[in-house]
Amino acid sequence: MTASNRSLCRHCLLPVGPRALEQTVHGERCTFCCYGCSIAFQVKNGKTEEWEAAWLLIRLGVGGFLSMNIMLFSLLIYGGVFTGADARLLPYIDILLLVLATPAVVILGGPFLRETLAEAVRGHLTPSALIVLGVGAAYVYSTIAVIEKNAQVYFDTATMVLMLFTLGRYLEAAGRARAARDLEPLLAVDRENVTVVENGLEISRPMREIEAGTLVRVRPGERIAVDGVIVEGVSHADEAVITGESRPVEKVTGSAVIAGSINLEGPLLIRSSGSGTETRWAQICRSVREALTRRSPILRLADRAVAAAVPGVLILAALTVAYWAQWLPLDRAMLMGVAVLVVACPCAVGLAAPLATSLGIGRLARHGCLVRDAGTLEELARVRLLAFDKTGTLTLGKARVVAIESEGIATTEVLAIAAGLERHSEHGLGCAVVRAAADRGIETMVAREVCAVPGRGIVGQFDCGLVAAGNVALMRDLSFEVAPGLAECGRRAEANGYSVIYVGWNGQARATISLDDVPVPEARATIEALRARGLRMAVLTGDLGPAAQRIGAALRIDDVCAGLTPEDKLAALERHRRSRDVVAMVGDGLNDGPVLAEADVGIAVGTATDLARETASVVLPVGGLWLLPWIVDVARTVHSTVRTNLLWAFGYNLVALTLAALGMLQPIIAAAVMAGSSILVILNSLRLERLPDVASQLPQRSLHEETARSALSAPVALGAPAEQG
Amino acid sequence: MTYYLVVFAAGFAGSFHCIGMCGGFACALGRDQRGAGATVLRHLLYNSGRLTTYCFLGALGGALGQAICTREGAALTPLNGSLDAAERVLAVVAGLLMIGMALQFFGLLRTFQRLTVGFGSSTFALALRSLVTTGHPAAPLALGVFNGFLPCPLVYAFAAEAASTFQALPGLLTMASFGLGTFPAMLIMGGVGRALAPAWRQRGVWLAGSCILVLGIITLGRGLLPFGAHVSHGLLTGHPA
Repeated sequence: MTASNRSLCRHCLLPVGPRALEQTVHGERCTFCCYGCSIAFQVKNGKTEEWEAAWLLIRLGVGGFLSMNIMLFSLLIYGGVFTGADARLLPYIDILLLVLATPAVVILGGPFLRETLAEAVRGHLTPSALIVLGVGAAYVYSTIAVIEKNAQVYFDTATMVLMLFTLGRYLEAAGRARAARDLEPLLAVDRENVTVVENGLEISRPMREIEAGTLVRVRPGERIAVDGVIVEGVSHADEAVITGESRPVEKVTGSAVIAGSINLEGPLLIRSSGSGTETRWAQICRSVREALTRRSPILRLADRAVAAAVPGVLILAALTVAYWAQWLPLDRAMLMGVAVLVVACPCAVGLAAPLATSLGIGRLARHGCLVRDAGTLEELARVRLLAFDKTGTLTLGKARVVAIESEGIATTEVLAIAAGLERHSEHGLGCAVVRAAADRGIETMVAREVCAVPGRGIVGQFDCGLVAAGNVALMRDLSFEVAPGLAECGRRAEANGYSVIYVGWNGQARATISLDDVPVPEARATIEALRARGLRMAVLTGDLGPAAQRIGAALRIDDVCAGLTPEDKLAALERHRRSRDVVAMVGDGLNDGPVLAEADVGIAVGTATDLARETASVVLPVGGLWLLPWIVDVARTVHSTVRTNLLWAFGYNLVALTLAALGMLQPIIAAAVMAGSSILVILNSLRLERLPDVASQLPQRSLHEETARSALSAPVALGAPAEQG
Repeated sequence: MTYYLVVFAAGFAGSFHCIGMCGGFACALGRDQRGAGATVLRHLLYNSGRLTTYCFLGALGGALGQAICTREGAALTPLNGSLDAAERVLAVVAGLLMIGMALQFFGLLRTFQRLTVGFGSSTFALALRSLVTTGHPAAPLALGVFNGFLPCPLVYAFAAEAASTFQALPGLLTMASFGLGTFPAMLIMGGVGRALAPAWRQRGVWLAGSCILVLGIITLGRGLLPFGAHVSHGLLTGHPA
């Protein structure tokens, strides 16, 4: 891959591919993926004083003027106007056509010829070679015919084919640019400037010069370029690109803002909290840019097919001419050969995949979902089974009090004492106890001389004496007596995967508090939605069996494998892959890295560790599990669009090629339908713009969340302790 | 000949309608600093670009009509012979299209107008504006060529009329007459066009509408009436056979 190969077209923002076109516009070196894009870009951005910009459009106009005049006369000739007495005018008209056609062929055919020659020097045969050869044959033959005063000339074919192809490329470029519209803010980030306030003055500075502490001014409607805190101003922000949520978030002085979100109403002054290029937004932009420049397998296949087709078409055209020359005059046979060359030009094939994929990637990126490369979307569309990690993916990874067992003491008293002690703890389990007391509105008792015992728990003085909260070892250390019933209860709970805190005072353990991990609120709705899409689900976790089973039961996932080491997870994934073909893994943890990399599609959720993010091919925003069904929808739609496009493009080429070889297609008609085929592919791809947005699923989501929350809390909170009691 | 004169008149009257969009381009082309000769050349180039596009559309329309309606071996006698089914259908479609266009000139059929003109202020038209101010000598020609393709109800109406002549040459001549009809107004657009009172412009638009309406009804009649071709032939003597 060369450097230009990895860059994006300046106009349509799609990868330039192996045949980049470099041009200087406004003194800036720009790379384009095709001639059409270079025209369209200069038409769109051309300043009138720029000679080069307008010249392209003038060239099209003058070429159009000449070729339309040629076509006019040709139509009159075909219409039988110059017959009978007027036939003597024909040689003069032929000369006039030659005079008109020569500049037209030079003006319109120049770019195609240059492309062909540049690639020929490198030893490649491009589709534009087909056009050059076809048009060249028609033009040279006709010129000789004029000199020899033969009856038939084909200048109209030569010029109209060129005109239609140029027009087709221009329209293509317009379609591509529209497809990449979603991506524009993502890709323009490198070139972005930020308004910085220094000594009371507003100065525009490039993004890379932003450091921690810089004051940045953001006007309404602008994208916030830095992570930071609002120093001045009140507004709402749209943070969809980071969090996936497109609901406006209120921002006041002191609120944190995220780079990439859009300031909706009021002007804001923000103190940057870090470098401008290190924000998650900048990372998203870089990753999208990389994703676009990677060619997906289906695209590589299409490229290879096109490369292989060109010599084949040349041979077919030669055979067509040779065959028909036996029965028809040479000029008619040649025209059939030209038709073969023209219809075989696989313009639509080149458009089939990149348009749809960039639309899909752009749409996902707008909601903070990153896709590593175009091939991932194709794989994701084919996925049959989704394997989930448990902790941090399906569950929040935060403990919650689910049961309190005591020897005749009220639950409220246990919580009041335990929470009074745990208030001073920073341990996750301790926080859960404090939260449980607060949720139930219990007033905590005041503890003195609190002391944390590492690896054991926490102790402190209450009015009732020394109180301890911690594991069974702490009770033993303090020589607190543990009643057999309570000890059994604690052991059972621990065996079932719960975390257990013993609470004791006055030399005796009085109660056990069982804690469990909380499922992500939207997990149930998400799993249901995925199931509705015909996907199977599995849980692969390193946790204890009973805890995994509980989550499996709550989310109605039957296939639960627990107690797995990372190696076991790989083996389990391999087993699933054998039976289900394409498998995706959703995870977050450090130990999920290898399995995310090994899965056909690795999906990391937002809280994921760096390793998980690095190895995954899809990264969801923080708390973005609920986006999964939508992502699958997008991937499937993109996949089917690419398939239809390729089927259409190749199918059309094959049918048209057959017709042309059989001599049933006029070259001009072939060129016109060729351009039409490209436009159809573009329109088919642009249908993806109408894909239901994730925002339309939001109200549904909150509803699901509520039902999921109530459904989940019931069996875990009530069912589990009953078993133990 | 009368036929082409009617088309020419319609083009002339209709060109007052053009002041909105095409007139803008013509005005923008303005005067050449190198003198009156260069200015005239510039406007002539622009208008010949436009005329070429019109003629091309006309010839193409006529040829398409011919391609659709030609029966093998049958000599074509478009306006004074009897018409076959395909020709009648084409005449009816073209006639209805023209009547539709004409009605919108009188302020009726607003949706139709949106369909045809809504495209006009597209980015392409805006890009063309930038072309206007380049100093390149060929720019006015290119501008004229593109201008001819800009969606305009007048052009559509006459392209439909050209198609209903079922031959390339009459089609071309129809559009050429129309294009030549718009010449005078467009040539002087830089000068007096803008100064023309709105009331006069309105009258011009109505006149154009009336011409198109008459032509549309005649074309429709050719398709519907048993001896339609003869009727139109009687009305518009001199149309090439």
